[in-house]
Parts: sequence; structure tokens; C-alpha cells
Amino acid sequence: MMAVFEKGETLRYIGHLDLMRTVQRALRRSNLPVKYSNGFNPHIRLSFAAPLSVGVVGRRELMEVPVEEGVTEKQFVEAFNRVSPECLQIVMARSISDEFPTLMSLVAGSRYTIRLMASPEADMAAEAFDRFMALDHYVATRRTKSGENPCDIRPFIKEGNIAKTADGYEIKLETVTFANGALKPSLWFECLCTFAGCDKPHHIIYRDAILAQPENGPLMPMEEYPHA
Amino acid sequence: MPVTIDQLLERVEKPSRYTGGEMNAVVKPISEAEVSFAFCFPDIYEVAMSNLAIKILYGILNDLPYAVCERCCMPWVDMRKELMDHQIPLFSLESRTPLKDFDIVGFTLQYEMSYTNILDMLHLGGIPIQSAQRSEADPIVCVGGPCAFNLEPLHAFVDAVMIGDGEEQIVEFTNAVRNGRKQGLSRMEILRSLTKIEGVYIPCLYEDAYNEDGTLKSLTPVDETVPAVINKRIQVNMDEAYCPTHPPVPYTQVVFDRIMLEIMRGCTRGCRFCQAGMLYRPVRERSVDKLCEMACESVSNTGYEEISLSSLSSSDYSHITELATRLTSDLKDKRVSLSLPSLRVDKFVQDTLTQTQQVKKSSLTFAPEAGTQRLRDVINKGVTEENLMETLGNAFSNGWSAVKLYFMTGLPTETDEDLAGIADLAQKSAGAYYAVPKGQRVKGLRITCSASVFVPKPFTPFQWCAQDRPEEVQRKQQMVRELFRPLKSARFNYHDSAISRIEACFAVGDRRLSKVLYRAWELGCVLDGWNEYFRYDLWLQAFADCGLNVDFYAHRVRSKDEVLPWDHINAYIDKSFLWREYEKAMRAETTRDCREGCNGCGLQKVKGVCSVCG
Repeated sequence: MMAVFEKGETLRYIGHLDLMRTVQRALRRSNLPVKYSNGFNPHIRLSFAAPLSVGVVGRRELMEVPVEEGVTEKQFVEAFNRVSPECLQIVMARSISDEFPTLMSLVAGSRYTIRLMASPEADMAAEAFDRFMALDHYVATRRTKSGENPCDIRPFIKEGNIAKTADGYEIKLETVTFANGALKPSLWFECLCTFAGCDKPHHIIYRDAILAQPENGPLMPMEEYPHA
Repeated sequence: MPVTIDQLLERVEKPSRYTGGEMNAVVKPISEAEVSFAFCFPDIYEVAMSNLAIKILYGILNDLPYAVCERCCMPWVDMRKELMDHQIPLFSLESRTPLKDFDIVGFTLQYEMSYTNILDMLHLGGIPIQSAQRSEADPIVCVGGPCAFNLEPLHAFVDAVMIGDGEEQIVEFTNAVRNGRKQGLSRMEILRSLTKIEGVYIPCLYEDAYNEDGTLKSLTPVDETVPAVINKRIQVNMDEAYCPTHPPVPYTQVVFDRIMLEIMRGCTRGCRFCQAGMLYRPVRERSVDKLCEMACESVSNTGYEEISLSSLSSSDYSHITELATRLTSDLKDKRVSLSLPSLRVDKFVQDTLTQTQQVKKSSLTFAPEAGTQRLRDVINKGVTEENLMETLGNAFSNGWSAVKLYFMTGLPTETDEDLAGIADLAQKSAGAYYAVPKGQRVKGLRITCSASVFVPKPFTPFQWCAQDRPEEVQRKQQMVRELFRPLKSARFNYHDSAISRIEACFAVGDRRLSKVLYRAWELGCVLDGWNEYFRYDLWLQAFADCGLNVDFYAHRVRSKDEVLPWDHINAYIDKSFLWREYEKAMRAETTRDCREGCNGCGLQKVKGVCSVCG
């Protein structure tokens, strides 16, 4: 079963492994006929399409949970949501066959919204936005386990725009994923602020969709990925 | 523009400590409640959410239609600084209500070194620290838990104390505050009305006086309407007690991240250093049926993947084998694993477990507490070397290779020979491992011996004893460390003597220590239970500033007829029994387990409470 779920504001500080355990506990509470791994410490089989950075709200996150045959999409959604907190609810589920590719292998990009609360810093960042997007290259320092690596972040950005809203600004961003990894939206935002010469304004980042790309097709939300 | 709580969360290391919203967290409209209770834990979230009392009492209070109970924990250093910098009052996890806006603010006292956190949380929560300075609008600050049995060092900060089991009295207490508020009673009138509840102690209604030598002369009620003695509450029937089967399930890993099934309360062994073993008497078991029902409900409500049995001495539970067998078969389908008490890893349980599931081969834990049989007799720890070696041999041939052994140093009558016994026991444990044929044992033997420093505790036979001086503690620790040097695969860890010294002062201290506590907090002491934040220099300064002597509290042998600061609390354990036990200890004489016959601790005088003595 493929399920689209929301990782709400309360949960945005929960890391990937904690989220995994939280979903497994919800599944155990739901009594759904899930499948277990073999081995000394059997755990519920579960995989996510793409880990979400800590601090980011997920609006349409994706997980795959193998279940015994006969469970309908509706049953799955209802059973899970009944025993899961408000900030972790499934939006829709889709039965997929065993031949469906692993979700992780399908990730081609992501869509983000960054909401900036009105402030002088937000104005500065907004003012610099177009110039920042017009750059062909921007080398940022990526902090990874193996140290700090310089990395050109510009190729990761496919599209971006900014709009003024009632309480500040809203940036929309579409990123693509390469073999060597994906771009963290928080890093991109940090670079924008450095470029604009301002402190980071108060903001919240949302991932709106995880994207997949069928052969010769356009980027699309992964839950719509066609498969026989 | 004022900074919001959400903005603070972005700046701290683990925001999830403060966000709540867990499965089973109870969110009731607090403004509609007739009485609101902030259940505070004076340590950080990960420790708080591992505590059984909070699960029980949070559940009980929120089941009351007229009450709301929310949780609040000590913020970590980073969050604490943010709250102070931005003058945001410490708030509850559920509705983010500042502590000062609750009707009742209750702390559970589990450890003396969390006392400065209580002062700090009150202050952060916008409540005057000193009880005497609270106004009619301020919450009633109450405490409970094992350390409440000697509340005196905290008396200046606490309005009310609940002594003993909390299940029933917390409801009576909360209801009395609710009624008092409804009738428009003053703060003092409410506090006086609370004295009518069995188990409740109101410190401000007692006065202390001292002898010339500094010892306590008396601690007496201010008038005859106030009870001279406060009896602890006892939850007699555990099958009828509230079962915490739907506790909040934390999102992040906490210290005990599993279902804790309280199989019994109390202990019959009578170890002479153990405060819990005396305070939680008598032993009360839950039935196997009840426990299986609780386990299933807990799994359905929490989704936890592991259950551990919780009690002071789970291997003594009368039906441990039946319980293990039934639980394993009940939980098989949901792949929930069961951790069993170390001492009973015998053949039978082993077989049952291997049939149904894989036992986690995590490390085994034993607490011989002392290195020689003589000293184990002094402390009445009914474990023999033979017992230990047999159990270890069993475990090593069943796939375990790591074992932890817990000891105490500085026990009454301890000699260097007893200390050498610790290293000796480590060596013999290694011997038990190598006695298992090579093909049958798992590689990688690890023996970890940890030694805490003996701290005299109220209501124990050792309440009259002195703690070793820090120089002596350190000499002993170094001596044992040297003896471990040649031992391969064995490690020796030991506790900080300075922390244990302050702990001893507050464990057996009197009312005058309230001043020291306040001064220490003023000087910046907070989170003292975390080694990296413990400031010994500041504590010594606080004692000096208040003109009080650490030696007087920690390193003094008390006489038989000295008035003790907890003499007005009746834990149903006779002082004469404790003294008898103390004298026997000095002669290295043991006392039998109460299940083998009543030892006359005092509980036999209360009808129908102790199932052992009848």
C-alpha cells in the first residue's frame, strides 16, 4: 500500500528514524494486517520515499507499507487515522502491486513552499530573490558526515517564484534530485539570505509534493505515477 | 514584536521536548475545567516520560470530568535560556499554559539532586519560589513521591505534600482544592482543609526547634487542629488500582521507551540501605489475569514493541513463570517482545521464550551491592556468590556475553577487604564465562562493574549512619580501580563523590537546608543531576553563606534517640524495628525475607494491609 500522509507542524521537529518508529507504532495500534521483517528483532516493514529534513512540514509525504491481500484503500486510511495523532494523518492510499518500483528509486524532485513572516529581513530577502535566481552558479558549503563540501546549488533549482501575501511572502520552489543527492531547502534559503545580506527572517518551510518522472514524461507528484 | 514560543523552538536543540501532541496526550479545554493541575517533573522530558507515576496520575486526573491535568518538564539549558531571555513563562506541554495559571502545580520527587530544578521551574513558571510569598491568585504547589517522606529541606517552597501511594489521595486533594476555590476560601483555609485528607502534610503548619548542638529538638504542629503525625496512604488492592494503559507515547526516544507493566508494589527482601524497600511496604501483587489484560490493552493503545516488567524485585513475583508464558503467547502475533528480570533467566523461562520469540541478548544486570558475603550480610542483601555464579553460568551458556554488576562503596562497616571483593567477584564472573565450553559461549565477554556511593536515606536501618568523607570515598574508588587494572574484559565505573555528598545532605537534612537550596539556586545551581552542570564549588559556597556545615548533615553518626526530621511521618515502619535492623547490621546478622515469616516491621499492626503477615 502506498500512502500519502501529512507530517504536521507539531511533528516537524521529529527526525526520520523517530517518524519511522512513530508510524510503526501507529500501525501496530491499527491492527492492520501488516508484514514483519524476519530476523532477531522483527519490525513492521515500512519505507518512505524521501526523508524530510527536520523542521520542514510535510504536506504530501509518501510511505509504502506492505499489507496482506484484501485490505482496501479506504480500510487502510480509516484504520490508520483512527489511531494516529492529528499531526500525522493519511490523506489517501493507493494499492500498488509488488512490481511497482520502490518509492525511493522514483524520487526525481520536490516542491516546496517557504512562508516568510513580514519583517525588514523578509523584505530584503524578497528584494534579492530575482537576482539570486538569475545566477548561473552559486557555491554553498554542504555540511555532511564527511566534512564540509563546496557544492553548486543552482542546478538543483528547476523553478522558483515569490509572491507577496497578507502576512509576508511566499516562495515556491521546485527542485530536482540528482544521483549525488538532493538540495535541502533550508540550505537554499540560507544562501538566499546570505546573498541578500540579511539575517534569516522567521519562516516555515513546507514540502508540498515529492516528484517522480515517468520515461519521456513530465515531473509529477509521485502518487500519480502511472503503473500497470 | 514579541517572540513566540514557536520561534524559540527553532533555536533549541530538541524542540520535540516541548511540543507535546503525542498519541494519548489528553487535550481538554482548560478554561472550562473546574480545577487545573500541572503535573511537573523536575527533570527533562526524556526522563519525565520514563516515569511510571506520571503515567498513572496523569491518567487518573484526566479521567475526572471536572479536572484537567497537563504536563510540564524541566527545560534543558538552551530552552531555559531562551525562556529567560524573552521572558516567556514556562508552559505546559498540552495547551502551553504558563504554570502560574494552574490551580495546582504538583512535582514528583524522585531524586534529591533535582531539587534546584523545582525552584527553577517555579521561577520560570511565574510563581513565587517561597511558599510564604504566594498570593491568593497563585497556584497551590504540592509534591509527592519517595523523597516527599523527608520533605523538610524543601518545606519553604512547598504548600502541601502527599505521602505514600497517590492514586486515591490525589483525587481527594484535587477535589478539595476545587471545592475550596468554588466556596471562595482563602489560600490558608484551603491548606487547612487539606489536612483532613489522610496522607496530606502541610509544612507551614509545623514549627521546628533545635538543640544547642544543632540537632533537631522538635517539629510540632502550630495548634491542636493540625495532626501531629501524618500517615502514609496505601493502595491496598493492586487489581483495583488504576491501570495506566493509555499513556502518551513520545515521538522521540526516551529513557524507558516501552510499556512498563507494574506487576507488584513493595518488596519483601529488606535490604537495609534501600529506601524504596521500606517505603513501599507491604508487597502487593497484581494477578496474572489482570496483568495480561493490562498488557494487551497497553499494546493496542500505544503500539509499543516492547514490554518490561516493573517492580522493585520482579523475580520475586509469585507467578513469574506463568506470567512470562502467558504474556509471550498473548503478544506473539504483534511481535511484541518481553524483557524479563535478570535473576530468573533459568532454564524453564529460557525454553518458553525460545519457542515463541527471540530474547534480546542485551546485557544482564545484577546488583550484588557489596563484594564480600560479610558485607552483603550487613546490608541484608540476600544474594550469595553461589547464586550469582549459577545464574551467570546459565546466562553465559544461553548466549549472553555482557553482564553489568552494581555495587555500593562506603557502606557501613566496609573494610578494604570488602572492596577487594568487588574485583574478586568480577574475576570469578569471568571464570564462570570461561567455564562454558568454547563452542557454547558467545564471543566478547564484557563485565562492567559500577559503584555508587552509599547515601543514608530516611526510613532505612542506615538512616543513622554517616557517609564516608569525600577523601575516603576517593581513596576507596582508586583502590578498586587499581585492582581492576589487570582484569581483561572487566571495567570499573564509579560515581562522583561530590554529588553523593550533597545528595546525602538533602536526603537526611532538616528545614534549615531550605535556605541552602535557595542560595545554591541563586548562585546558579540547576540541573545538578547532570554531571556536567553540577557545581560543587557553588554548593559549598551556599552552605558557607548560610552558616551550615556539610559534615553535620552528611558525615555524622546519629544517636538512637535523636529526633529525626521525618519522625512526624508515619510510614508504618517502626523506628524500633529500624533500630533493631541497624544493630543486627552492625553484627552482620541477616533478617529473613518477610515471605518466610513476619519480622514485625510495624505493618502487622495495621489490619488487612500486609498479605504476608496477614
